[in-house]
Amino acid sequence: MADFQTSTQRAKWVFTPQKLAERYKAANQRAVQFLEKCGTTQVEVDASGSLTYPTDKGDARDHSDKKLKPLSVDEERFMRAFYEAKVQEVCSAFEFPHKIQATALQYFKRFYLQWSVMQHHPKEIMLTCVYAACKIEENHVSAEEIGKGIKQDHHVILKYEMASLEFDLIVFAPYRAMEGFVSNMEEFLQARDDEIQKLQSLLKAATAEADKVMLTDAPLLFSPGQLALAALRIANGVLGVIDFDRYLENILSQPNSEHTTSELSKLLDGIESLVKNYKYPSEKDMKHINRKLKSCLGHSSSHDESKKREKRSKHKSHRSSNDAPNGPPTS
Amino acid sequence: MASPEMEQRKKVADRYLKQEVLGQGTYGVVFKATDTKTGETVAIKKIRIGKQKEGVNITALREIKMLKELKHPHIILLIDAFPHKQNLHLVFEFMETDLEGVIRDSNVFFSPADVKSYLLMTLKGLAYCHEKRVLHRDMKPNNLLIGPDGQLKLADFGLARIFGSPDRKFTHQVFARWYRAPELLFGAKRYGAAVDVWAAGCVFAELLLRRPFLQVKKNLSPIFVSLDLILSGNSDIDQLSKIFTAFGTPKADQWPDMKNLPDYVEYQFVPAPSLPSLFPTVSEDALDLLSKMFTYDPKARISVTQALEHRYFTSAPSPTDPSKLPKPIRKQESKASYGKHEAIKVISPPRKIRRVMPERGRLDGMKSRVDKDQPAPMSLDFTILAERPPNRPTITSLKIEYVLIASYSCSFCSADRSHLKRKLDLDFQ
Repeated sequence: MADFQTSTQRAKWVFTPQKLAERYKAANQRAVQFLEKCGTTQVEVDASGSLTYPTDKGDARDHSDKKLKPLSVDEERFMRAFYEAKVQEVCSAFEFPHKIQATALQYFKRFYLQWSVMQHHPKEIMLTCVYAACKIEENHVSAEEIGKGIKQDHHVILKYEMASLEFDLIVFAPYRAMEGFVSNMEEFLQARDDEIQKLQSLLKAATAEADKVMLTDAPLLFSPGQLALAALRIANGVLGVIDFDRYLENILSQPNSEHTTSELSKLLDGIESLVKNYKYPSEKDMKHINRKLKSCLGHSSSHDESKKREKRSKHKSHRSSNDAPNGPPTS
Repeated sequence: MASPEMEQRKKVADRYLKQEVLGQGTYGVVFKATDTKTGETVAIKKIRIGKQKEGVNITALREIKMLKELKHPHIILLIDAFPHKQNLHLVFEFMETDLEGVIRDSNVFFSPADVKSYLLMTLKGLAYCHEKRVLHRDMKPNNLLIGPDGQLKLADFGLARIFGSPDRKFTHQVFARWYRAPELLFGAKRYGAAVDVWAAGCVFAELLLRRPFLQVKKNLSPIFVSLDLILSGNSDIDQLSKIFTAFGTPKADQWPDMKNLPDYVEYQFVPAPSLPSLFPTVSEDALDLLSKMFTYDPKARISVTQALEHRYFTSAPSPTDPSKLPKPIRKQESKASYGKHEAIKVISPPRKIRRVMPERGRLDGMKSRVDKDQPAPMSLDFTILAERPPNRPTITSLKIEYVLIASYSCSFCSADRSHLKRKLDLDFQ
């Protein structure tokens, strides 16, 4: 689908920064409300994609539940960042093309616009996103294979697949656009062999930059073409292959261009600053957040819940050592 | 308390009032339903999920992925797609019949202007797909649905693919065989929009003739086939013979790349009969367009956009207004018969169950499709094959080196279709 202009991505999945912040806040709020009312945030999903929300267990638990602290919006962001990096790791381990990685990341991002990590554990969602991306990009790998490759239960992968339907499935990534721009640069420079070589190394460097761009919020804020140009500009800043401003002027001199050069530059600056300000959680951050997340996700049976709480109060000082940044215990 | 999305999902399941079953499709039941929100009639494809090892059916997933992006008056409208109680539901606009139903109905008379109108709508829908870089890959009359207003719409995007990456390899096992372009029959893995044009040409010819044009009948004499041929091209060679009989064996200068195709074999030269002899009473403009859609070399074949600009569409008679197109008589009969007979074709005719799917690999592709109304192309029983013959055989010298395949695999002939259908239906349980 070569037409981003009429795509569902453009119509439904590109936001203003304000709108995006609102979405994250609202998703967080919904989970917080569940935690306050029901003492847990976990939403159960069965194989057909049917969901079971936590139920209000009455005020008998109110007292003990006060100990459960929800994740903040920023902590949720860290949690996502951690697992988005995992998406890239998994995809590289399988040597999937960048396109699949980008599609998986977009699905992951889209999922957590509607949900909090407190409601669906990101580890499970991450795997489903990789699986669904392979399937949609016609690079089919069985769920079992993905599960085996990373030693995870493949049933979990399939469990969430239905959710991916809400993501509109076709995703535009910056990689194809970058290839287009680079071949356009060849024309623009009327490049000779050595310059073509240089442009190819620019493309390679920009691909790595685009991978970084994909980890930020930028894919939910900008068009794939803008992401591509930003990645190329960052890479060119190091390699200095082309006079980038002149190149931008050139492409904007086309009759149907939407932006002026300064507007476009500003957009690219925006993407660049997202990359610069990208924060990946430290191990310490993750330990803390993961502990909180685990308690929020809780257990589905009240018996376990109270038992766990008992244990928690007894061995509070030892808890952190047992908590690897892994999934919640499934019950 | 639930998220707004969830509230919405619940509503969605209640939004449609189910009515009668329209038919059993490739991967589930098709219902007629009323959309309580708009009051409109819709068709709902219900696809069982949850038990499959590989999650959501890839065909259904392709359909959703493509149709969510494709919005055009001549493309079937996907209104909604949602999971509900172990089933994935695809909600489509309701269509009355399909082009196959119209073509086959001997009570319907078409004028040349009607044919032009059907082709025009087909090509408009296809042009939009190609503009969006989507190959349909399953163009045939029963995937061209016809709405209550006479509008024709492309449906069934379960084989559709996005094209455009020059190096991307595709499977050549696409289209019902009678609609398969020669490059596919020769095993091409890199192909483009031209395959859909060929198939559209077949539809055009079928409109003119009122029967499948390049239909291979099963009563061909037993043929001699090598193991090599079977493994590479299976009964695609019958199909190629059929094509070459109609248009003459292509010469190298007509189609320079032909010899490099993976499953290329040399065919005995047959000259082309004149096109007017195949299509008597058809106008010269129509024949010219037809011959351009049936150009052997996919690079030289007319594009859909060019076809739409062809003088055939501007010369008299002008295409019939869709609302005035003839409708099958059956449609005006009682509702009961509609539901049972006609409606099966509406979304997913039973025949599609036997469609050759790309995932199934090569040998499956040898099971010839069986048609409800038409004799099936010959099936080849490949279990009795002897040693491997030398490479690049020519059809004319087959006798010396190759094994006689005389045994038709009867389980795929029409006699035993019920068994086949039963077997396939079990897959959904």
